[in-house]
Amino acid sequence: MATSTIEVVVEEIKRESPTVKSFKLVAANGSSLPRFSGGSHITTYVQTEYGLIERHYSLTTDPDITDYYQIAIRRSDQSRGGSIYWHDHIKIGDKLYISYPKNHFPLSFRAKHHVFFAAGIGITPFLAMAADLKKKGKSFELHYAAPSKELCAFHDFLLSIYPDETHFYFSKEKRKMTTDLMKNQPIGTHVYFCGTEAMIREYAEAAKAFGYPEKSIHFELFTPPDFGPLQAFQVKLNKSNQVLDVQEGKTLLETLLTHNIQAPYSCKIGGCGSCQVNVLKGEIDHRDFYLSDTEKKEGNVMLTCVSRAKSGYLILDL
Amino acid sequence: MINNSKIISHSPLIERFPFPFKGDSYRYSNNSEALEPPFLLDITPEYFKEIEQKRHLLKTRKEQCYQSFSHSLEGQWEILEMIINEMTSLYPNYFSLKKNKNHWTFCNHLLKEEQSFIFGNSSSLPYEPLDFIGRHIQEDLIYIAQRDGDLYMDAGQLCFPANWSIAFNLGMTYTEFHSPVPYFSDSGLAEKVRNFLLRIEAGKPWTRLNWTLTVEPILDTFPETFDEWGAKKEKVTSENAGQLVHLRVEDQRLFRLPRSNGILFSIHTHLISLDELRKNEEWINRFYRVLTDLPDYIAQYKGFISYKDKIISYLEKIIKTKEGVIK
Repeated sequence: MATSTIEVVVEEIKRESPTVKSFKLVAANGSSLPRFSGGSHITTYVQTEYGLIERHYSLTTDPDITDYYQIAIRRSDQSRGGSIYWHDHIKIGDKLYISYPKNHFPLSFRAKHHVFFAAGIGITPFLAMAADLKKKGKSFELHYAAPSKELCAFHDFLLSIYPDETHFYFSKEKRKMTTDLMKNQPIGTHVYFCGTEAMIREYAEAAKAFGYPEKSIHFELFTPPDFGPLQAFQVKLNKSNQVLDVQEGKTLLETLLTHNIQAPYSCKIGGCGSCQVNVLKGEIDHRDFYLSDTEKKEGNVMLTCVSRAKSGYLILDL
Repeated sequence: MINNSKIISHSPLIERFPFPFKGDSYRYSNNSEALEPPFLLDITPEYFKEIEQKRHLLKTRKEQCYQSFSHSLEGQWEILEMIINEMTSLYPNYFSLKKNKNHWTFCNHLLKEEQSFIFGNSSSLPYEPLDFIGRHIQEDLIYIAQRDGDLYMDAGQLCFPANWSIAFNLGMTYTEFHSPVPYFSDSGLAEKVRNFLLRIEAGKPWTRLNWTLTVEPILDTFPETFDEWGAKKEKVTSENAGQLVHLRVEDQRLFRLPRSNGILFSIHTHLISLDELRKNEEWINRFYRVLTDLPDYIAQYKGFISYKDKIISYLEKIIKTKEGVIK
């Protein structure tokens, strides 16, 4: 956390909906914050009495605003504790560390038209992406599903800034957002999804069925994909000749880090590829959305944050 | 109060030269390391001479040294902002900036120059932003855009190239512009390094040293002027190698640019004659061992296979004399 983090102060907290709060962060030393690209997120490091809470949140403001950053968080009772802590304990004046902006969900450069699909809190990356495109005069449309107008964070903001581009779908009003919206789009359209894993799967499959090239389909996950139980397995590290037990319920990355192995990582949900390592032997149970089908089949690399051994053990080039 | 501002170091070249060899053998690899402290600039006593030469090249051979695509302007402004911030915070005695919202006035006190402009408005500068700021620093600057999952050379000011040219490389992908490098391009290493670059993060820059040899202290070894500097290789003998042959080291640094999501690649080129390098006995001995171990395909690509034997016999002579003296 030395040179690559920035100390910030919570300057303002705003209720965006009954379940969503936004937080305005300014640099603790008063200097300006780095500009970023639409779709970027920051990692927040909050020191609590239960330990360090490390979470990723999309930046929601215009990417050229350098006086402050804004993130928006939905309080989730099923969460691992991050969103509850942010909602119930963080107050104005609190200090924390954040990473520099990182972008694992960038806008396509070559797209002729951008179509965004947000479900619930999945709206957050699109707020900055829309600002980015609007400024550059690029064409886009935003489809946003929420239970109701009252539970729809940033509803008034979107309606006033992007009235022509934004389309709302409130399930209480029986208006459903559907994959058919991707059907009749011009050639060169890129589609982007952010929401639950089930929503992303449904939209990605539909886009493929409609004939979108794989490179025109973009999505960002908030939680690791669910591929079933996390069974125990063993890894052998080829360089140090160590054998490590990855316990049931633990990830390989966690195991490597607790044994002080210098393993790279970033998103921890199988989306960015930072933790990729070479595998010399063993059958891999790939659980990421990063590697291509060919790479998965070849079985020479794996992402340690989510993927596991099919059975027995793996030999890693570490 | 502690004064943190840096000044130009006037220590002899041999004491500040970035010697590139960590061991007795050299092969292509991803030898990048985390850059600490995380800055781009290095101002050396050669500043005035090199800036003058850079500007002369840009005046007389602009197309050869500066190329850009119009879609690189966002990245170029980001580079200008990053470098000016660094110049004024690391070297406040040499550079200053006055900001009134978007109206900026930049002062180079070393050159006694002042430029006012509107940030983000390219018509308010005499040159494109990358071309402008490059004229105030010794480093060559290459803007690598990250677009749709690949890396493209989208702009660059390159005045001191080791036999490559931005005019030729503009618009190529990372794997395309590395395709002439033997082994690196056909072993899968180029893809590995590209994948590493695709993931470098803002706030965590990287550095590596690259090297070659140049006959006479010539910084502007362009492929376009090979007839001028390439012919000099024929003059090298085991007698004059110490004066003529220079170890050429590129201090390369890589920065993620968070606004454009591109990468800034900077190159600071240093030259030292072998006679000068002899002042560090460990270095000249190691250089000898690296050369004798070097496979031909590397010497061929780096362009000194034709006179490698002359350098080796020069080095053997001086190393033997030295040993003779010690005994």
